[in-house]
Amino acid sequence: MGIHMLYINDLTKNYGSFTAVNHLSLHIPEGDLFGFVGPNGAGKTTTIRIVCGLLRASRGSVRIGGTAAAVGSKEMKRMIGYVPDFFGVYDNLKVREYMDLYGSMYGMYSRDIAKLTDDLLELVSLSDKKEVYVDTLSRGMKQRLCVARALLHNPKLLLLDEPSSGLDPRARVEMKELLKNLHSMGKTIVISSHILSELSEMCNSIGIMNRGQLITAGRIEDIMNQLSGGKRIHIQVASGMETATRVLKEQVGVSIESVRENEIVMLFSGADEQISALIGCMIQNQVVLTGFYREEGSLESLFMQLTGGGAQ
Amino acid sequence: MKLRWNPIVKKDLQVTARSMRFSWGLFAYEAVLTMTFLLALTMIQQMSGSFYSSSNVYSSLIYLFPVLSVAQVCIVALIVPIITASSISGEKERQTFDIMLTTCMSPFSIVLGKVMSAVLRILFFVAAGMPIMALAFVVGGLSWSYLFYFVLTIILLALLSGGIGILSSAICRRSITAVILSYAFYFIIYILTFLPMMIKGFVTQADNMGESMLFLLFNPIIFYEEFFMQLMTSESLFGAANFARDDVGFITYHLSQGKIWMFVSAGCILLLSVLLLLAAAWKVNPMHSSSGGKRRKK
Repeated sequence: MGIHMLYINDLTKNYGSFTAVNHLSLHIPEGDLFGFVGPNGAGKTTTIRIVCGLLRASRGSVRIGGTAAAVGSKEMKRMIGYVPDFFGVYDNLKVREYMDLYGSMYGMYSRDIAKLTDDLLELVSLSDKKEVYVDTLSRGMKQRLCVARALLHNPKLLLLDEPSSGLDPRARVEMKELLKNLHSMGKTIVISSHILSELSEMCNSIGIMNRGQLITAGRIEDIMNQLSGGKRIHIQVASGMETATRVLKEQVGVSIESVRENEIVMLFSGADEQISALIGCMIQNQVVLTGFYREEGSLESLFMQLTGGGAQ
Repeated sequence: MKLRWNPIVKKDLQVTARSMRFSWGLFAYEAVLTMTFLLALTMIQQMSGSFYSSSNVYSSLIYLFPVLSVAQVCIVALIVPIITASSISGEKERQTFDIMLTTCMSPFSIVLGKVMSAVLRILFFVAAGMPIMALAFVVGGLSWSYLFYFVLTIILLALLSGGIGILSSAICRRSITAVILSYAFYFIIYILTFLPMMIKGFVTQADNMGESMLFLLFNPIIFYEEFFMQLMTSESLFGAANFARDDVGFITYHLSQGKIWMFVSAGCILLLSVLLLLAAAWKVNPMHSSSGGKRRKK
């Protein structure tokens, strides 16, 4: 197992008597695309802001890339690329100058910034906008530019706080593709969002927060399996229903949920490879199958189950 | 080692240079200065009788220099807080300040960058006012070095006003509130520094003023009074007061001798400016509990 890129231990943030983040512990491995899910006020933004050094935690610790650098230190800032939910614009500043400004703020030299700017603008499909004033870009373009800016100093961890909020569907798709692309390049990405369908499509692991607490975190499939007690499988049987039921009951990890006229619904907690062996066993016992499918659990249903609603 | 620009100074100057507001500001500055010049010229003319017949007209004309300088000082003192008070709160309003804080720039570098860009903008104004200032030198009697000293004092004043503005900007979330707070700080520095002396002199009617005048070391009004007095008459304001040893406290007495008051005052104003910058940097640092403890409204 690789190192934990983000290691949060017992993080708590109090605002007077209100607790925004409550004893949050979270470990995100290197190369993960991690989705932070939760209703408004769940504590996602607060957590991200603490990791970025924009807020001081009341308690707990944050480590990035296995180093012991303090939150808010230059060493830690170099490891983080932060994309806020809102893109602030400077009037009269061109895209190239915008990149140059933030590159300089990371202590980079103009020559290096210029080269990286070209590469990053190409990555975010804004090469043709290099000499355009930032305030004239569309919101989707601005958000992509913000991602390019966050990548300028080659951070190990990219933190995005609801990057798709306020974007039109096309811009959302472009942003999603960009993040998938970055993930495939090996970047560790933490993204908070309300748009669950979007997260389920691109994230390989998620953390669900509610009222400042992390309810669960891990691989999406694992969480779904844990909550539903296994994979829900529908088997359509043409003949040999009794035999099929008997064979399934004999198998380890199978729990039959319902048996209808020609369909059996079961929960299976075994590995994916074992499902084919299960089917093979039924065929060997002269059961005629007409259909077989695995029910896909949705992140929405999972979220609703855990929090009682609150997201799109 | 290669000397590098503070990125904020570079960005601010770039953005400022492209805005029409800056050009209009320069125009207004020039206009006010020209009006002051013409008004001062008219008044000198009236006081001297006729321009061509009076024998003392030339000696009177050298007073154009302090008049124009004071006009510039007043404009600088008024506009620097407006520029700096909206600098950090403006970034907060645009929501660019958070991104700035996540970069490798320290809060002090950010604050210093903002003040330096304001000082440089003021120097543009002063440079633009030079042709009008030069008119005061046409008739002679003044050394060009006076102009250099004057620019140094303007930088000092801009640093102080910038420090006040930036601290207000760090405290307030909105630019307009920050500007109002800046002028409240002005009131404390420009007016309330007279208060200990007034209490001692008028309220308690004490014979010995003690050290109550030391607060005036931080007052730019007294500093400029001393500066122009020394420049134009080679006399010291405090020297002219000719305090006896029993009239004032030990430190005040020694500072009032010779011309050291002005230099000590300049040091005090510079120190106050640095303290204001440090306070602003401390305030904007998210790792400090008071700024890191507020909930962010989305």
